[in-house]
Amino acid sequence: MATVNGYQGNTPVAAPAGTTPSKQTVPAARTVDTQSVLKRLQSELMALMMSGESGISAFPEGDNIFCWKGTIAGSKDTVFEGTEYKLSLSFPNDYPFKPPKVKFETSCFHPNVDVYGNICLDILQDKWSSAYDVRTILISIQSLLGEPNISSPLNTQAAQLWSNQEEYRKMVEKLYKPPSAA
Amino acid sequence: MEESTPSLVSHLEILDTLTDDSIQEILDSYANFCSATESLLHGGDASDFFSHVQILCKHGLLSLVRDFFLKSLEEAFEKNLASKFWRHFDCYNNVGINYEDELQQVLCRALEEISLEKQYQEKCLLLLVRALLLEGKPDSDDEREYLFSKYQLMVSSVLMASLPRHFPEILHWYFKGRLEELSSIMDGELNGNDDDDSHDKDDMDLDEKGKMLHRNGAMDIDECYLQGNFAETNKLVKNIGKVVRDLRSLGFTSMTEDAYASAIFLLLKAKVHDLVGDDYRASVLNSIKEWIKAVPLQFLHALLAYLGDTVSYNSPSPALKSPLGSHPSACYPGINAPTEGVVRWQLRLEYFAYETLQDLRISKLFEIIVDYPDSSPAIEDLKQCLDYTGQHSKLVESFISALRYRLLTAGASTNDILHQYVSTIKALRTIDPAGVFLEAVGEPIKDYLRGRKDTIKCIVTMLTDGTGGNPNGSGITGDSLLEELNRDEESQENVGADDDFNTDDKQAWINAACWDPDPVEADPLKGSRNQRKVDILEMIVGIIGSKDQLVNEYRVMLAEKLLNKSDYDIDSEIRTLELLKIHFGESSMQRCEIMLNDLIDSKRTNHNIKATIKSAQTGPEPQEAGASMDILSATILSSNFWPPIQDEALNVPEPVNQLLNDYAKRFCEIKTPRKLLWKKNLGTVKLELQFEDRTMQLSVAPMHAAIIMQFQDQTSWTSNKLATAIGVPVDVLNRRINFWISKGILTESLGKDSNAHVFTLVEGMVDASKNSGNAGSCEELLGGDEEGESSVASVEDQIRKEMTIYEKFITGMLTNFGSMALDRIHNTLKMFCVADPPYDKSLQQLQSFLSGLVSEEKLELRDGMYFLKK
Repeated sequence: MATVNGYQGNTPVAAPAGTTPSKQTVPAARTVDTQSVLKRLQSELMALMMSGESGISAFPEGDNIFCWKGTIAGSKDTVFEGTEYKLSLSFPNDYPFKPPKVKFETSCFHPNVDVYGNICLDILQDKWSSAYDVRTILISIQSLLGEPNISSPLNTQAAQLWSNQEEYRKMVEKLYKPPSAA
Repeated sequence: MEESTPSLVSHLEILDTLTDDSIQEILDSYANFCSATESLLHGGDASDFFSHVQILCKHGLLSLVRDFFLKSLEEAFEKNLASKFWRHFDCYNNVGINYEDELQQVLCRALEEISLEKQYQEKCLLLLVRALLLEGKPDSDDEREYLFSKYQLMVSSVLMASLPRHFPEILHWYFKGRLEELSSIMDGELNGNDDDDSHDKDDMDLDEKGKMLHRNGAMDIDECYLQGNFAETNKLVKNIGKVVRDLRSLGFTSMTEDAYASAIFLLLKAKVHDLVGDDYRASVLNSIKEWIKAVPLQFLHALLAYLGDTVSYNSPSPALKSPLGSHPSACYPGINAPTEGVVRWQLRLEYFAYETLQDLRISKLFEIIVDYPDSSPAIEDLKQCLDYTGQHSKLVESFISALRYRLLTAGASTNDILHQYVSTIKALRTIDPAGVFLEAVGEPIKDYLRGRKDTIKCIVTMLTDGTGGNPNGSGITGDSLLEELNRDEESQENVGADDDFNTDDKQAWINAACWDPDPVEADPLKGSRNQRKVDILEMIVGIIGSKDQLVNEYRVMLAEKLLNKSDYDIDSEIRTLELLKIHFGESSMQRCEIMLNDLIDSKRTNHNIKATIKSAQTGPEPQEAGASMDILSATILSSNFWPPIQDEALNVPEPVNQLLNDYAKRFCEIKTPRKLLWKKNLGTVKLELQFEDRTMQLSVAPMHAAIIMQFQDQTSWTSNKLATAIGVPVDVLNRRINFWISKGILTESLGKDSNAHVFTLVEGMVDASKNSGNAGSCEELLGGDEEGESSVASVEDQIRKEMTIYEKFITGMLTNFGSMALDRIHNTLKMFCVADPPYDKSLQQLQSFLSGLVSEEKLELRDGMYFLKK
């Protein structure tokens, strides 16, 4: 587990629109002790498991604690009610100084989610702080579903349709593919 | 026969040259020879026998003469001797003990008779030999030998052919009877020697012999034999010898040997059974060996000597001796040169004795181990037997089945099983220092104990408690098992040190000579016995699986014990902890050590706080609070290192509360920045209850004290109000208040509202008689105990708590992965559930936990995959 994160090169890193490239090019000044990252992730997992928050969940995939699978249920009284979305979270080596990369694995018809599953959410980009953790990320994404940021959409069709909630609900139901039990 | 063939050929050649006269002569003398033979065999006169033989021989008809003579002998023997001989035994078809004396006489008579007749026949045969000798046959010795061997063969084949089926049995009974007689004579003699008083009654001979024996300082059996009841024994042996010799001469050599061997073995077996009995506190091996030397070997020695076998083996070369009988001569103080036959017999008999004793002991091994420290002589015997016979596997099989049948049953208490297990380890350690067989025997016990819930608790109690964890038992063992183990270890280490100290060449040589290979059953993977030492503690910890569990259980027990202490006396706990540290290492006992340190610190802190409060309070109103600091002593815990402690809200009476707050404040002042948080439900309260007519002193739990204090001002409470006053739920109150009701101090009655009970204080012992039993023993009763309340969360509670963590993890992973197989869940938990304590369950434990969740309808199991139940 000490030598992880070779996968970062394999995953197509589709930089969301809001990303400022200059920030990415700055080499990580802090060399982070992998051990402490592990500890942090473990304790986040523990906290997440013990919180028992309904509607959000995540768990490391395989034997790699840097790579998690997440699950978010659409909140009640939103157009996404009754749907469930899978996410992938991959944590950088210098987490929590850098945000994890979070993507939708299930296709999601949402103004701030593109067809590849990339999410446009400020706390995952320039507003990231090490005070956030997996739980807050998941809660933020869950609330993003019900309260999209129409002003900077990734999916313009969804952004335009958002005003008509009834139609939008139909669209969500039409496009929703329940995640297969994998 | 070889001789006759060539002579026959030569006769054929000269057949032509035979004249009529000579033919006539041959015919005549043959006829005469036949009749002479007949009359000779029937005891008649046979003066012309020689001449006829001569004539026939002259004509080269030697073989004819021989064959005819032997044939006649055979016919005569078969017709007269054999049938007559067997007729003696006809009526003993169903021989039994009743006939023994009669049988003996009949056998002797019959043997005597047939021997006489046989001797006569042999004489006749000798006549023939002499006749042939006259003829000038040069190799007369050969001839005689040939004829006699033919005769002997004939005799035995005739007898064997007509042998009645019960004859071997008759022989057996005969020898059995004789041997018993001999044994009783010998026994009497031995006892006579042992018993000084009997000397006066004995005759001069015996007295002298006795003196001599005392002078020699040894049981000089041969001398007894020579001088003691010499005549009697000798006669007996002589008689037997005669019978044996007669039987041998009739060709019953092997049958006779079988008969007396089986008789000896039977007698030996009976003797072993007789000596062994059900007493395991004495070693019997030596007395058995003594007896073997005294009775059967003496008998055999005499018998073989009588039969003249000694001569043939008189000087056995060392090479001939069995390697097992390394120093045979040393075993026979009386017999100067033991014959090889006797040595062989001794080895056979001893092996048989060892085997018999071993079988007897093995069949009773369970009982022997039950009485272990007392029964160690029996164990020692068994060890020697097994060393000799090497039948350890028999022991393992038999003992395991005994264990399954008698110990590993639902009825046996865990304590008993554990104690038996420890005794087994100790006992088998003697027999088998390498612990190879112990492993086999211990496995079923271990497996069984693992299935019991209270095993860990019992083990810890047994290890640490002086009474050996047997509260209602006799409690003889003053020390805990741990102390005992430690003593063992120390003594073992001392022995080891001595060994090292003496390692010069000579010692090294001796060590090398003592080397014993591991038993063949040993598992080579486990290293040789030098590295293996049977460690009782390790084996016991092996039952639980990990020492962490054991340490954890001990911590819980220690916490319970410490919390119930009202003084700060923890000497015995410190000692136990030190011993545990030796075995389990400092680091694993660290938390326990901190707990003990807490107690020591508490004592000091307590003292300090009281001193400062006193000095602050000296002036104004010391009586104001109604309770002085003196009545309070606190145990201050570093709660991080203690097991989870049961917390229960409780409103203590105001004066006490005030006292606690003062104390906490003072603590805070002294120990800033630390703060004192009271666990008000824990501890002990010493109460004195004053009634109109009596006072009572009690030690109770704070809850009970809080309850009864409420009755000081108000003698009657409804349950709801009382519960609110004390700050506990009503059901808890109802449960706890039973303590006072059972003491007859409160009574319970139904109030207006059926849910609300009314409790009233009983002034005066109106129903003293009813409750006197309780009142008498109330001193000892500690309120908390009787309801099985414990102040520390038990290990089971902890496990339950752990499992809820795992449940959350499992739910988490199944939410994200949909479905998972058992081992994937197991691995994932192992990897990511690094909580405190980390996930350490086995696959089986996880499986049973998961099936619990399935039955709670939280999970679903399909095709080996677990799903969340939607």
